[in-house]
Amino acid sequence: MSDDVRVNGEEPTTGEAESPDYDNAFDAIVVGAGLAGSAAAVTMANEGLDVLVIERGRYPGAKNVFGGVLYTPTLRELVDVTAAPVERYVAEKRFSMLSETDETAVSLRPGEWHDPPHNDSYTVLRGEFDRWFAEQAVEAGAVLVTETTVTGLLRDDSGKRIRGVETDRPDGAITADYVVLAEGGNSLVSEGADLKSVERAENIAVGVKEVLEFPENDTAIPDRFRLSDDAGASYHYFGEGAVGSAVGGGFIYTNEDTISVGLAYRLADARGRQPKPEQTLNAFKSHPAVAPLVRGARTVEYGAKTIPEGGHESVPQLVHDGAVVVGDAAGLVLNNGVHLEGTNMAIESGHLAGEAIAAAAQRGRTDEAALRSYPERLEASFVVKNLERYGWLMERVEADRDLIFEELPHALADAGAEYFRMDREPKEHHAEAARDRVLEAVGGWRGAAKLAYRYREVIR
Amino acid sequence: MTSPNAEGWTVVVGVKQVPDSDEVRIDPDTGRLDRANAPAVLNGPDRDALEAALSIRDAVGGTVTAITMGPPTATAVLEEAVAMGCDDAALVTDRAFAGSDTWPTSYALAMAAKHLNADVVVCGEETTDSSTGQVPPGIAAHNGWAQLTYVEDVEPLPEENRLAARRDVEGGHERVAADLPVVVAVAYGEFDARPAGLHRKIFAENDFEPDQLTAEDLSIDPGDVGMDASPTQVGGMDTVEPVERKNEILEDVADLLEPIAATAEVDG
Repeated sequence: MSDDVRVNGEEPTTGEAESPDYDNAFDAIVVGAGLAGSAAAVTMANEGLDVLVIERGRYPGAKNVFGGVLYTPTLRELVDVTAAPVERYVAEKRFSMLSETDETAVSLRPGEWHDPPHNDSYTVLRGEFDRWFAEQAVEAGAVLVTETTVTGLLRDDSGKRIRGVETDRPDGAITADYVVLAEGGNSLVSEGADLKSVERAENIAVGVKEVLEFPENDTAIPDRFRLSDDAGASYHYFGEGAVGSAVGGGFIYTNEDTISVGLAYRLADARGRQPKPEQTLNAFKSHPAVAPLVRGARTVEYGAKTIPEGGHESVPQLVHDGAVVVGDAAGLVLNNGVHLEGTNMAIESGHLAGEAIAAAAQRGRTDEAALRSYPERLEASFVVKNLERYGWLMERVEADRDLIFEELPHALADAGAEYFRMDREPKEHHAEAARDRVLEAVGGWRGAAKLAYRYREVIR
Repeated sequence: MTSPNAEGWTVVVGVKQVPDSDEVRIDPDTGRLDRANAPAVLNGPDRDALEAALSIRDAVGGTVTAITMGPPTATAVLEEAVAMGCDDAALVTDRAFAGSDTWPTSYALAMAAKHLNADVVVCGEETTDSSTGQVPPGIAAHNGWAQLTYVEDVEPLPEENRLAARRDVEGGHERVAADLPVVVAVAYGEFDARPAGLHRKIFAENDFEPDQLTAEDLSIDPGDVGMDASPTQVGGMDTVEPVERKNEILEDVADLLEPIAATAEVDG
């Protein structure tokens, strides 16, 4: 805590004497103690800044039942991750195409993932992880205030410079040189302050997730997912068996003694043709390829959230005079089907923003130009490179949705069935039948070649 | 003891840290309450007490000081009280107090209230972890002060040096006035606690340190408090098995008359 706080705790006030006043007692205010917010807070506190983190939940992570796989390359640079409350390391990534009744899957279990740092991929429960991460920020010197909702931004008389935040508490305004907006995907403060436009429905995905436990069955998770010790699995599902006719997918992640099962698909689909998210999730859990994995499970948590997935074009202006936007609030989420990553991008953006603020503070400046190193370094980082690389994919997938989410899963399943058919025909005939079935779906050899060309970037 | 005071009243409010009753679970193996794993929070009825205490200060001026008896970790509930608006807070803490039941607890709190020159002591109706409701009357009894229990509303009368209150009684309510100093136990749910101001909350949680009051500070003989001075003896604990009830399904309402008539005969 800085020395310029005007009330000193050693001599408590009496009567209606001075009320405490923390205006400008902190260098920076962070809105939201999620991954991006805590990464920014840790970074700035380590640089010697006085940081106030404002969180609306009872504790950090209380409002977040999401998460799943956490990618830790940047996190490892910021804090000692050996004590972090992770559930399991990811030892298997499995990708499944589901038609209504079939499953065709590819599984990756590289031996290398069993060794530290485990490809920097761990399953986490955000309620526990976010709380721990925020504690690291507090240990680094940040001040955390919970159960407080930021309702708006304060500006100077010219209206240009952001000076602080307004909260839902009495005497609720507080000023500081910098505001870090890390409020998450539902970014009401940033939108209300015109720092970003309201996201179009086609660029927002809805995520629903359940955490399930297996009462009186301690071996359900290792047995069903073929796991030993701390190894875990991340299963991704596509196709109409996962999310019906919507663009999106499903997932199952193994935690220490629970599993997280969920879906993420476009809000436009959720509003239109799709039944309710809960129904879609129940249908996914009843799919013949999924039901045996969740048999006998009991729901311990249920949650839903919005996921921005407009890609690179939807990233708003990231720096303003006196403020920066980070994490999901900045649309920095990668969700293209193959990769579902927001956590590492959130941490990276929070970290880079924190460093930019620390550098600007040293020069006593708050203007956009002084904070520009944040968007510049973000552009150069994997965060924006990945968003750019996969930005086109969502459009392609949308254009080919019937093929990708319905016809191809059927064709692949049929082809598999043909290839391995047990009858008295020679194997050669099975292979031909399988090939023909796939070619039929994609429009012959020409169609297959075109398709391969259209999606070549995925494996570039 | 106290004369009309232009400086306002000295209000002391007693609070307690308890296991969060929303989080207390029953151990499925032993059937016992697992209190240890529940987070420690401010006793719910104490929010009513804090609001009542602050409303008295709003009306007549003066100060509100929160006190709690417990280990240093109990400081969290004092911070919450200061965040809400209490001017100061004190932790009544001493190894000698360990194991105290309601008798020595109310004695120690009574001595603390005297030490702080309280005009009014406000407490919650009861605590959610023991539900005796004995401590507020105990404080009054130890100090020989007036007490007002099950209070739904308070009305300070500074000119008369008295506090009037509306008490919840069976079938309605009564209005009673007591001379200061007085101990007030407020009815749960009758006072809508004010939210903490932002700056005050930051101050309370980060820069405020409560005073500590030991047995010596309060002139308490260690032999008068603690486990040995506690008359409560816990003989044992049992899980009560549900009583098997006799069920009988009658097809016809008229068939009910006979057993009812038989019962009535016993009563004469």
